[in-house]
This record gives sequence, structure tokens and C-alpha cells, in this order.
Amino acid sequence: MNEFIPVIGLEIHVQLSTKSKMFCSCSTDYIGARPNSHVCPICLGLPGSLPVINERAIMYAVRMALAMRCKVNTHTVFHRKHYFYPDLPKAYQISQYDLPLAVDGHLEVNDDEKAHKIRIQRLHLEEDAGKLVHAAIGGRLMGADYSLVDYNRSGVPLMEIVTQPDITSPKQAREFVSRLRQLVRYLGVSDGDMESGSLRVDANISIMEPGGKWGEKVEVKNMNSLKALERALEYEYERQKEVKSKGETIVRETRHWDDDSGKTVSSRSKEEAEDYRYFPDPDLPSLVVDERTIVQLCKELPELPWEIRDRFISDYGLSLEEAEVLTERRDVALLMDDLVKGGSPVKVASNWIRTEIMRVLNERAISAEEITIPSDEMALLLSRIDRGDLSTTAAKEVFAMMLEKSLNVDDAIKALGLSTGKLTGSDLEAIVVKVLSENAEVVEEIKAGNDKKGKKVKFLQGIVMRETKGQADPKEVQSLIMSKI
Amino acid sequence: MKNSEFLKLSALELVEGYKKGDFTVSDVIETALEHIEVNERNLNALITPLYEEARSRSWMLDAALARGEELGSLFGVPVVVKDNITVDGVRTTCGSRMLENWISPYSAHVVECLERAGAVIIGKANMDEFAMGSSTEFSAFGPALNPWDLSRVPGGSSGGSAASVVAGYAPIALGSDTGGSIRQPAAFCGVYGLKPTYGLVSRFGLIAFASSLDQIGPFARSLKDVAAILQVISEPDARDATCARKERPNYAEFLNVTSLEGFKVGYLAGYESLEIDDEIKRAISQTIEICKEAGAEIVEVDLPISTRYGLPCYYTIAPAEASSNLARFDGVQYGFSVAADDLKELYLKSRGSGFGPEVKRRILIGTFVLGSSRYDAYYLQAQKVRQLIIREFNAAFSKADVLLTPATPTLPFKRGEKLTDPVKAYMADLFTIPVNLAGLPALSMRASMSQSGLPVGVQLIGKKFGEGDILKAASVIEQVVGPAATALGGDRK
Repeated sequence: MNEFIPVIGLEIHVQLSTKSKMFCSCSTDYIGARPNSHVCPICLGLPGSLPVINERAIMYAVRMALAMRCKVNTHTVFHRKHYFYPDLPKAYQISQYDLPLAVDGHLEVNDDEKAHKIRIQRLHLEEDAGKLVHAAIGGRLMGADYSLVDYNRSGVPLMEIVTQPDITSPKQAREFVSRLRQLVRYLGVSDGDMESGSLRVDANISIMEPGGKWGEKVEVKNMNSLKALERALEYEYERQKEVKSKGETIVRETRHWDDDSGKTVSSRSKEEAEDYRYFPDPDLPSLVVDERTIVQLCKELPELPWEIRDRFISDYGLSLEEAEVLTERRDVALLMDDLVKGGSPVKVASNWIRTEIMRVLNERAISAEEITIPSDEMALLLSRIDRGDLSTTAAKEVFAMMLEKSLNVDDAIKALGLSTGKLTGSDLEAIVVKVLSENAEVVEEIKAGNDKKGKKVKFLQGIVMRETKGQADPKEVQSLIMSKI
Repeated sequence: MKNSEFLKLSALELVEGYKKGDFTVSDVIETALEHIEVNERNLNALITPLYEEARSRSWMLDAALARGEELGSLFGVPVVVKDNITVDGVRTTCGSRMLENWISPYSAHVVECLERAGAVIIGKANMDEFAMGSSTEFSAFGPALNPWDLSRVPGGSSGGSAASVVAGYAPIALGSDTGGSIRQPAAFCGVYGLKPTYGLVSRFGLIAFASSLDQIGPFARSLKDVAAILQVISEPDARDATCARKERPNYAEFLNVTSLEGFKVGYLAGYESLEIDDEIKRAISQTIEICKEAGAEIVEVDLPISTRYGLPCYYTIAPAEASSNLARFDGVQYGFSVAADDLKELYLKSRGSGFGPEVKRRILIGTFVLGSSRYDAYYLQAQKVRQLIIREFNAAFSKADVLLTPATPTLPFKRGEKLTDPVKAYMADLFTIPVNLAGLPALSMRASMSQSGLPVGVQLIGKKFGEGDILKAASVIEQVVGPAATALGGDRK
């Protein structure tokens, strides 16, 4: 009987990373700033002030639209959307209505190794509202004596992206947002951070009955992470199925996700839909984005994540999984190209980036561009790993030294007291003999046949490798140990 | 020269006088302020006289004069500014209780321009609340009176600005015109009032009534002053996205004409049959004669759509935009606010008692016509009519360089006369409203005096950015009729 299929559509708001706000020259860099310190008569909605369109915001949105293969409208209009709320200083939001900046695009997600095309219904620009701070425990509205308004966020450019209800599972919804976030970061149009609210997702979810009949849709809000999004939709899917199985009807409403309790809670009924009294903003002449600009922006689009992924698979012979990881971030993908161009063997470069470099980037919270090691030096290091001249352990130390002191490979190796060549033959044999004699009991155990899993040999091998400061080939060490025992 | 004579001088005469050293800025400002103090008891043309600000600025300017600095084109000229135009640090009320104590933290573009040109803002003018009205009786600060006859209204909504100029408070003033709010009071007060082409003057700092119709413009008693102030305030401004970036001509040059040879003046076909005061009809005929004698070709034009549908079209679009523009006055961030137990009550009480009756009426109409179920039938339909009106004017201007029409259907009416019947009051804007809908420039000027001693105004409409054509025709008329005079309480001076 479990044949209800979830039907999910997303509405995503992305704060654009322009320097100034959508309609005034105030800075958008308000995180952590004193309340109401990034404001002017325009974003405060003071009487007599007028909006002027931030052209960079238009450019960013067009870039995003083109990357999603949308049709960009050359004539687009800003409308006023009216409602009263203290965080909205003009009592209307400048947004777009029936002539959005772009329509009809798509974005592909990989779900269970299969590609799914999620259609984009529209992309438009609008202004963000301010923020209310309620003076009660936990900043909640209920029981607050008063509320304060911070207009620093008021007027920050927001790009709204609406999908068609093409998403068929909570996991797929998560994949989609993850892909979209990757894209805004690739294009440099937003930091795409969900926790800080620069990327906000509202989801519409209904369930389709076995006969193909659609249920009432429920809007779910307040998911502050990818995980929360997936959990909220899973919860909502189960809840709706349960309502149906009880023979009850699903109410069309807005529900808030509560991450602590892991539930969605009804917030307001959507039956009496608000009348926003949309009309074209007479302060803003209709915007013309001419064909030439569109063509130019199209030409300037960077190589997109899935394009690089496919190229890595075809040109470098990487697996889909490897290619996905390497292209997750644009800086990392570019580094991969750099290393290969600089002469690094593909496989080593891929492994090295996915392990060591990603670790360093995450630990230091830096971008790959901040790794100042020249790509030919990196290539040299990686080639030595490839040839077995350096063990991975040693290479990590060398890499750290190169980063730390801006040294080249050879100087880093010298600084670490490693010899440049590798330890082999009789030199290595001498160390093996020494280690075996120092660990006679273990050798005896092995001889007695008490090392079926080979753990004891590995133990000895480890000591030898440490003694050689990682400059020996582990395979040679192993065979030497075996031959000596 | 007696100090009281200063009050009759034009702006450009004042600037000349300073340059020649005939008198100082503080002489003039002091005289003007004293004059204001005495006459405000009757006229109520100003909501906020700026005694202190004007005085200290006059000393500053005198010091600049003494240092021999280069003087701006409106150096030391007293100016009255309508109270819906912001001046940094000065309260800007819009004639409303809603903004009774709101002090603007910034100046409008036009105010910056005036100050750069050396002007001295001596007061904020009375007006109908949020510029909605045609008598200045809808001001929350009491009505302004007509200096020609204190029992009559000065017109509106820029009634305070017009009254200030005719009363000699200042040679020039700024008003705003959404449906006739400069031209109708200019006609009622017998001064020049120009509504520029939509987009010629930046609206930045003009508290919006209807954004697609509003335009700031000057009042003056001479055409030379009109040209001078227009030159100053029409400086392009990137802060208003609807403000044209094109270069402005030298407006004073259009005044050096004596002949209208090769110039076509259009008049409204069948205007005689409309309900218009006979004295106004006579003034139109006389003005046509003046133009004809100056060599102009007189042509007949037809504006049936504008005449018939202009008013309903306007009274759909203007309230729609107003209901949106005035939504921000919600008692939260600034302005009038009533303590309440919850948010909804705060909104209802603050807006319910902060706005006056005419403003509420228009907010209700506007909210109604923008409702999603009515949008197509009202707002969208009105926009289509607006396009037809624009087309109709375009056709008329293929035949004529300027159009001559009445400015108003009646002479200044008595106080209280039109308060009870809003539709009748709206009819007063019959000739001015289509001009705003089409975004055209138009000047209203005194063409004669009535037998009862009241000014009789006419209107000259130009094509888009055709201010020059208007000034040209008006200049020829001024040469016959003479510039505007000052008046105080029916005692003409």
C-alpha cells in the first residue's frame, strides 16, 4: 500500500554577494555589524527616497539563469508586493511578478547514479527584508515584551528560484539544493551559506495517490541546512501518508520545521490567501537586458561543475565518484587541472587532492587558490610519490613544510632531514635486521605460526618504516622482513 | 530703495542688486522674514517658517559676497519649498498629522540644487495633505488663504507655495504637480506655475503621492525667474531612475523672442461648450489674439478622450499608486504612532487617526482598484486609457507646437465651497490632469484680471521636453499682459 509518491517543488532564495544592496549603495556586508548601521533613506524606506537598480545584481542573476539554461527575458518588470510587517519598511517589497528576469530552465541532479532533470519555472530578483529581534527568551515572538527591528538586511539583493514540482524524494530535494549551492558558488554570485541564511529553501510537498491524483500541497519553511531539508521532507511525507491512511484530508497550509523536535508544525492556514496587490513599480522603468549583454554574459560563463566533471571522466579517465568530489568546489577543480598541466600523474593528483589537500583546506578553512605552492613543484612532489621515492607519510610532511615555509620540494626534504634518494638494498636490509633483533619475541611468535592475519608482520613493517622516515618502499620492507624471518 | 520694495523684486533682480552692492542678503532675508511673521497670521501659507536657518544662511552668504566669491545663479534669493520636499534637518510634514514631527535626515535633489545655486530656503509651504486636494483646505495645519481675496482658496495642493509668491514672501517657490497641483494654484493666485515634463526634474526627496505622475516645478512672478529656477532644479540626477539623462537646454534663451512667426498655437475645439467661467473663455480668446498678432498660426485640436476619460483614468491610477506609496506610514519606524496592544491594532489606530479624510478616501479607492480580482477591470484598463491619451496628445502635437487651454474651469472658489462634494472638487482638474497622464510640460499663467479683481489663468501645454516652446509663447504673452503682481489680503500692490 506504500504507493504514495512525494511531489516536491522548491522555492529558493539566494542572497547575492554584490557589494551594495539591490536598490541603494549601502554595503551588504552586515553580518556581525551593529544593528541599523548599514542603512540609508532608501533601504529604510524613508519618505521621498527612490530605488535605483543595482546592475551587478542583474548581471549575477542573468549569469545564474544562463547556467541553468533559462530563457532570459529581455524586458523585465519590477512589481510592488504589498503587505504590512515591521521588517518591511515601505510596506511593500520590490519584487517581480508576471515578467520575471528568466523562465524555463533546468538543473540536473544525480540521484542513485541516474541523472534527473529538474525544471526551473522561474528566476527573479527582489529585495530582502529587515530582521525582527524579539525581546523574550530565545528570541521568540510569543511572550516578548517588545520587538526590535534591524534594517541592515533590508534591501539586500535576493534571487528567487522556483522549480517545477519535479522532485520525487526528500533525498533528491537535498541533492538539488546541494547542486544549486555548488552552482552559485562556481559562478561567484553568492556564498550559498544556509546556516547564515544567504540560501533559504522553502519546499512545497504533496503526495500523489496511486491513481495519479495530487493531494493538497503543504509549504514547509525554516530548514537551515541540507540535512534539515531532507529530514523535514521525510517527516512531512510520512505525516501526509498517515493523514491519508486515516482517511482524513490534508490541509493546505504552511508548516514550520522544528529541528529540535524533528517535526513540522502548522503555522498559518493558506486558505485565505493574502492579496498582495501587485502592480508595476512606477519608480523603476522596465528593465531592458539586451541580447548583446546576454550573449556576452553567456560567453563569460565559467566551465560549469558538471562540464568539468564530464571532462575529468573523459580526459583524465576518472570515475564518476572521483570526478564529483574533485568538482565539488571550483577552486579544487581548477587545482586538479593545474596539477595535471604541471606534470602530475592524474591518479596521484586525484588521490592527493581528495585526501591531503581537502583535509588542509577544511582544517584551515582556506581556498585552493591560497595554496601558494607552484604547480610544477606540486607535480614534482606527486611524481615522487608515484615513483615510490617518497612514501605517502613522508610526502605529507614534505607538503606541510612546503606550505609552511614556502620551500620547494628538495629544500623541504632537506629541512626535514630526509635524504633525497630512497632507502633500499643493503642500507634498508641493515635497518630490517636491526629492527628484527630488537623485537625477537615478535619474530618468534611469527615463526611459531601465530600470525595468521599478518598483523605482526605489519607491526614490524611499521617500525621499519618509521626508522626509515618513510623513505623505503613498504613492499620491499615487507619482503625483506619475510625473507629474514 | 525702501526695504519693502525688496519683496516685489524678482529673483534675478535680487541677484543683480547683490552684485551691484545695492543691498545685502541679510537686508532682504530680514525684510522677508518680518513680512512673513506679520502676514502668516492671516495667510497661513507656511507650515514651518525657517527664521533661524534663513537668517544664519543670509549672514554666511553675505560673508561670501564680501569675500568676492563667485555667486550662484540664485544667490541670496529667498525660496519657499512645498512641505512634501525634504530639507535635511528640517521637519517635512506633507501637511499631515502623520508626519507632524518627522525631521528629514536628507535633502531632496532639488533642494541640494537650490542651495548650490545660493538660494535661501525661508519656509516650508502649506499644502493639502499628501498633495491630495485642490484648495489647501485638506491641510492638517489649517487652510492657506488666497492673498487676492482672503475669503477664497489659493488652490491646491501647492496652495501655500503659490500664495507665498503672490504675497511677496519670496519671488520663487517650489511646488509639486500630480494632477494640476502647481498649475491650478498658480492660476488662482495669478502667478506663473510650471509643471515640467515627467522626468525633467528629479523626484528624489519628493514624498510620493503618485509616482508616475508627480513632478516638482517652480512658481514665480516673472518668466525669467521661471527659466532661471528651472535651469537650477532640472539638473540630471541618477538617484531617480525616471529622471532623464539628456542635456538640458538654456531655458533663458527661449525668452528672447518678440515674434511667433512660424509657430503654431493649438486651441481646444469646442471648449466654449464646456462648463467654463465666461471670464476664462474671454481670456483664452484674448490670448489667442495676442499669439496671432505675434505671427503665430492658430490651429484647432481635438482631445475628446482626454476630456472625457482623463478624470476617471486619473482617479484610478493616482489613488492606486498613492495607496502603495502611503503604505509605509504604519506607525512603526517614524511618524505618527498610537500605542496599541498588538501589531494589527498599531497599524489600524496609527493610520486611522494619522491620515485625514481625503487621504483615506484615496487610499481606499487605490486599495480597491489594485485588488487582484479588480486589477484588470480598473487599474489595467486605466493604463490602457492612459496610452490612448498619450497618443491623442501626440496627434495634437503633430499639428501644433503648444496647446492653449483654460488652466481651471472656474475662478478661485470660496473657502468650504467644494469640501462636501469630492467629485465636484475633482472636476476642477479637468484641464490639468490629462497633461500629467501624458507626462507633458505645462505652464499656467495669468492672462488677465476678472471684473471682481481676481486673476484669470490660462494653460500652455508643450510636447515632451518642450519647455522651450512654452516659454517662447508665454514670453510673447507676458510682453502684452505684464509679469505677475504681488497682492496681500485683497489690497493689490
